[in-house]
Amino acid sequence: MIPGGMTRRRSVAWMVGGLLGLMLAFGVHVAFGTVPIDPLRVVKALAQMPDSRADYDIVWNLRTPRALVVLGAGAMLGLAGALLQAITRNPLAEPGLMGVSGGAVLAIVVAIVAQSKLDGLGIVRDTGLALGLVGIAGGMAAGTLTYVLSWRQGSDPALLVLIGVLVAGGTAALASMVLLVADENQVRLVLHWMIGSANGRVWAHWHMMWPLGLAGLALGLGCAGLANALQLGDPVAAGLGVSVERTRLLLLFVAAVLTSGAVSVVGAIGFVGLMGPHLARQMVGTDARRLFPFSVLVSAGLLLLADIAARLFPLGWLAGLTGLALPGRSGMPMGVATPLLGAPFFLYLLLRRRRQA
Amino acid sequence: MRRFVSWAAAVLGLAAVVLVLALGLGVLPIPGARLAGVLFGAGDSTFALVLWQLRLPRFVAGLMAGAALGAAGCLLQAALRNDLADPGLLGVSSGASLVIACVVVMNLPVPPGLLPALAMAGGLLAGLVILAASRAVRDPVQMILIGAALASLFGALILFVIVLGTGLQIQIVYAYLIGTLAGRGWADVLRMAPWLGGSLVVAAALVRPLGLLQLGDEVAEGLGLRVVRTRMLAMVVAIALTAPVVATCGPIGFVALVAPHLARAALRTGAIAQVLPLSAAIGALLLATADLAARWVVMPAELPVGLVATAIGAPAAVLLLRRHARMAASA
Repeated sequence: MIPGGMTRRRSVAWMVGGLLGLMLAFGVHVAFGTVPIDPLRVVKALAQMPDSRADYDIVWNLRTPRALVVLGAGAMLGLAGALLQAITRNPLAEPGLMGVSGGAVLAIVVAIVAQSKLDGLGIVRDTGLALGLVGIAGGMAAGTLTYVLSWRQGSDPALLVLIGVLVAGGTAALASMVLLVADENQVRLVLHWMIGSANGRVWAHWHMMWPLGLAGLALGLGCAGLANALQLGDPVAAGLGVSVERTRLLLLFVAAVLTSGAVSVVGAIGFVGLMGPHLARQMVGTDARRLFPFSVLVSAGLLLLADIAARLFPLGWLAGLTGLALPGRSGMPMGVATPLLGAPFFLYLLLRRRRQA
Repeated sequence: MRRFVSWAAAVLGLAAVVLVLALGLGVLPIPGARLAGVLFGAGDSTFALVLWQLRLPRFVAGLMAGAALGAAGCLLQAALRNDLADPGLLGVSSGASLVIACVVVMNLPVPPGLLPALAMAGGLLAGLVILAASRAVRDPVQMILIGAALASLFGALILFVIVLGTGLQIQIVYAYLIGTLAGRGWADVLRMAPWLGGSLVVAAALVRPLGLLQLGDEVAEGLGLRVVRTRMLAMVVAIALTAPVVATCGPIGFVALVAPHLARAALRTGAIAQVLPLSAAIGALLLATADLAARWVVMPAELPVGLVATAIGAPAAVLLLRRHARMAASA
């Protein structure tokens, strides 16, 4: 698709439609949950005039922060995916496939278990800005490792993804090792990150997420012009006066901050950063100034829908079938839902690219 | 042929060294000079018990699993004509692990003897997708990406199963998913043996057709080879070799990728008739050595052997990938 081929009016229409869709998804996310509450009472609770204490706790203290956290994580992962795809000029790049998520999860898992062992008495904590920073350090380290190992007179796009798969596998094996030395409380908490879930995310988590998210999103969206230049190829970008290596490093840093910020709150959510930018590209084309904001919208919406689907997934029939005592009402974590959608999508992309080639 | 004989002898010799070390080292060290005596009844019965019931069966299980993986990797690489093929990278091991994770978490009443067959069903599921994709995709790198997608799909299903489990089961499943030989005994050896024996017989029969396949699909077809059937059969055998290993020791990675490469480099030829047996022997040696390291590094505790295999195998895989990219660029 030609970047300039999209009229301004049409992309504005998409943008408005995307915003409306996102607000709708947010509304549905807050309105529906495992405890049915009718819409009027939800609205009253949101307006700080609840019918009962329970309504207020469920709607304002549980569902609202959870929806915000999911929205933020989706937005951050979406922009990170779009950035990585622009840097690598590889439409298959994704925070999870680059090893960045894996590195962030490993760092967080180690930090949580180590902190808990230092504190003693079985205390396990999972909030605080420090945890986000630890995640960023881990994500950056793994991302850099992937990048360096795939360097071959310039980074090789196919190699980047393959090495990313290996780095992700290595970090996952190390994280599993940490699980083996953890006690049961720690395992329960750490699994949250290894699987990826929004269960039990409350205001404290939102407060830990939004500063990083805001900074990362602003920085990333501001870099859209630079990303456009990079997409033209290194020689052209250099000809335009862009310092190629420095720009690439800056964008990579922003992508790692966004990824780690999201991962440190909701854990390793795969494939959202792949699917969101792809769908966005179908709608508004490849111009980063339109693609980046739209990727943010689409990915946030996708993750909200994935969380709704995962939360409402009926475990009842499974319990009936197997006679297991299942963790009934909390539903499935969304980290299970996104690969089930995303991996087939990835396969489809591979096979389609193959046909075009 | 002389290269083959001398390399085979070298691998056997090294395996004998590893055997002595594996039997002698441990929390209860037994000096080499006394090993033979203890093995055949002289001296303390505790030593004899440790040797006969713990260390020897574990060593044998490691050899068998390594040989199976080495042969499976060689068969997959030949069948797909893709030198990056590996049951782990292609998603076959994940498919097999999914079934085992289900059995562990749901406490299904499955007799242990059936586990390899069930694991094979899961592996075949992934194998079918790979086989279907192999008709459209020739590029080895694309193939590995398809395998990565499959692996993450099965990985998500494994997570789904893990979520249903309790704390202890989850730890068991994670330990299993890294791959370990800890506590494997004669029962496990006996369970793997018929699968290995049967598969290796079929693999021997496949040597000639696979050799023809290396000439390219068109040439092989012209020479009267049923290409699709050969490829399918070789993949089924490779999966039948992988499944019992995954069922008993977990999805141990990278041995199957590295062993055939080492064999080809040692023999300086790609002839399947020589590469296949040497690859199996090298796989056995690699895994037995990795297990020795896993037991020894943090004694008296031990690491899962899968972690050691990953620590050695992943850098090797990076090197292979880089070399592959370089050759693809110059071709």
